[in-house]
Amino acid sequence: MKSYFQLQFKLLNRKIIDFGSPLLIAYTLLPIIFIIAANYIFNKTEFGSYVLVLIALSTTAKLSELKRNEFLKSVFSNKDYRILRVIENNILCVPFTLFLLYKEEFLFSILLIFITSGITLFNFSSKTNFTIPTPFYKKPFEFTVGFRKTFLIYPLSYFLTYISVSVENFNLGIGAILLIGITCISYHTKLENEYFIWNYNLTSKQFLIEKLKTCIFNFSILSMPIIITICIYFHIKIDILFLFFFICIAYQSTMILGKYAAFPNEITISESIFIAISFMFPPMLIIVIPFFYLRAIKKLNKVLE
Amino acid sequence: MIKIEKLSKSYGKKQVLNLIDLKLEKGKVYGIVGENGAGKTTLFRCISGLENYQGNISSDFNKLKNHLGLLLTEPFFFDKITGKEYIQLLANSRQIQLLDIEEKNIFDLPLNQYASTYSTGMKKKLALTAILVQKNDVFILDEPFNGVDIHSNLLIIEIINKLKSLGKTILISSHIFSTLAQTCDEIYLLKKGKIIKKVGQLDFKNLELEMKEFTIESLIHKLDLK
Repeated sequence: MKSYFQLQFKLLNRKIIDFGSPLLIAYTLLPIIFIIAANYIFNKTEFGSYVLVLIALSTTAKLSELKRNEFLKSVFSNKDYRILRVIENNILCVPFTLFLLYKEEFLFSILLIFITSGITLFNFSSKTNFTIPTPFYKKPFEFTVGFRKTFLIYPLSYFLTYISVSVENFNLGIGAILLIGITCISYHTKLENEYFIWNYNLTSKQFLIEKLKTCIFNFSILSMPIIITICIYFHIKIDILFLFFFICIAYQSTMILGKYAAFPNEITISESIFIAISFMFPPMLIIVIPFFYLRAIKKLNKVLE
Repeated sequence: MIKIEKLSKSYGKKQVLNLIDLKLEKGKVYGIVGENGAGKTTLFRCISGLENYQGNISSDFNKLKNHLGLLLTEPFFFDKITGKEYIQLLANSRQIQLLDIEEKNIFDLPLNQYASTYSTGMKKKLALTAILVQKNDVFILDEPFNGVDIHSNLLIIEIINKLKSLGKTILISSHIFSTLAQTCDEIYLLKKGKIIKKVGQLDFKNLELEMKEFTIESLIHKLDLK
C-alpha cells in the first residue's frame, strides 16, 4: 500500500511538471491559493461551510470512478482496498477539514471526514446506456459533449431569468447569462486528440474561424431565451446586456485560441497566466486574443498545413 | 501515386525509421509486417503528416492528408459522444454531407449509444466506418482486424478488395498474416525501422514460413517450456 501512495505522489509531481510549474513553487503556492480561495468563499457567502464541503465531496467523488476502483480491487485485498480508499479520500480532504477547523466549523469538519470515508463504499459509473439528447448533435464535439455533462445548468439559468423578471432584478438576469457563458467556456478547456484536428481539410486559419463560429452560434442559441426575456422586461438596460453577452463571447474565444496556442499540449502555466490576467483585467483581451491567435496558427500549421 | 524516399525518423537518439523507400500505386494494397516496435505505426504517422521526419514524401495530391483515411490501432473516442456523432464529426471535418448515417452502418453498430461504451472491436468498426464515409483516395489501416469478430473480419476484407477495385491506395499493417495474404498485392517486412524484404503475392507463403521459423520458433525455444 505504501508503494501505491508513493506512486500517486510521483504521478502528481509529473502532472505539476507537465503543467510547467517547478515543484517547489507549486507546493508553496497551492496552499496559499487554497487559503485565499476558501477565505473568499467564506467572505462572500454565509453558506461558505456548505460550499467548501460540496467542493471537497465533488473532488473525492472523482476517486470513486468505477473502472479505477475495479482495478484497485483486482490489485489489493478487500481489506487493503477499503483502508486505501479511506486514506486517499481523507488525504484529499485534509486542506478542507483543516480550514473548517480553523473557521471553528467543527460539525462540518467531522461531517466531512465521515462522508468522505463513507463515500468509499460506493462507485460511480460514468458509462450509462442512456444517451442524453443534445441539440448540437449535428456539429460535434465541444458543445455536444459539454451539453451532456452540464445540461442541468440550462434549466437553472432559465429559472434564474424567470426569477429576475419576477423580482425585477436585472443583475440576476445578467448572472444567468454569465452562468451560461462560464459553462460554455468550460467546454473548451480540454484539447482534443490531434487525430481530430488532423482530419480537417482546412487551413489553420479556416479551422480556427470554424471553431469560433460554431462557439458563437451555439452560445447565442443557448443564451437566446435569456436575451429575449431581458430585452422585453429590461429594455432600458439592453446595452449592458449586450456588453456582457460580448464579454462572454470574448472569453470563450480566448479559451479556444489559448487551447490551440498550447497545442499539442494541454493548456500550460503560460497560457493560464494570460487567461487569468485577462479575467482580472478585461482590456488585456485586446492583446491576449491576437497573441493566442498567432500562436495557435503557428502550432496548428504543424498538422494542418 | 505516393512516393516515399529516404524516410528517416528518430526520437532523440533512438532511430525508429531508417531510410525507407516505398512507392504506393493506385488500385493496390500494400501490407506492412514486423514485430511490435518495428516502426509500423511511426511510418504511418509520418505518411499522414502527424510526425516530422527526414526524407521526402510526395503524392499526386496537393495535400495528401486531405485525401487520406487513417485508422489508428487504438482509435480515440470522446466521452459522451455517440457513434453517430463520431461519424458526423469525421464527415464534417472533410465537408462531407451525410443524409442518412444509419444507411452507412454496415457493421450494425448501436450508433445512438456512447462510443466510449463500445467494445474494442466495435470501436475499430466505428472508426473504419467513419473514414469510409469520408470518401478518401488513400487508406492507412493500422491493425484493422484487431479485436474484430469473424463476420466483420470477412466484411473488412471485402471492403478492402472493393476499395482496391475502385482504384484506391491502401496500406495495411496486421499481425494476422492470413488477412494480409487475402488482400495485399505486396507485403513489406519491417525490422528495426528498415524494410528488409519486399514480397509479391507468389511468395506470401514463403514469407509466412520464414517469419514463423526465424521470429517465432527460435524465440519460443528460449523460454525452455516444459
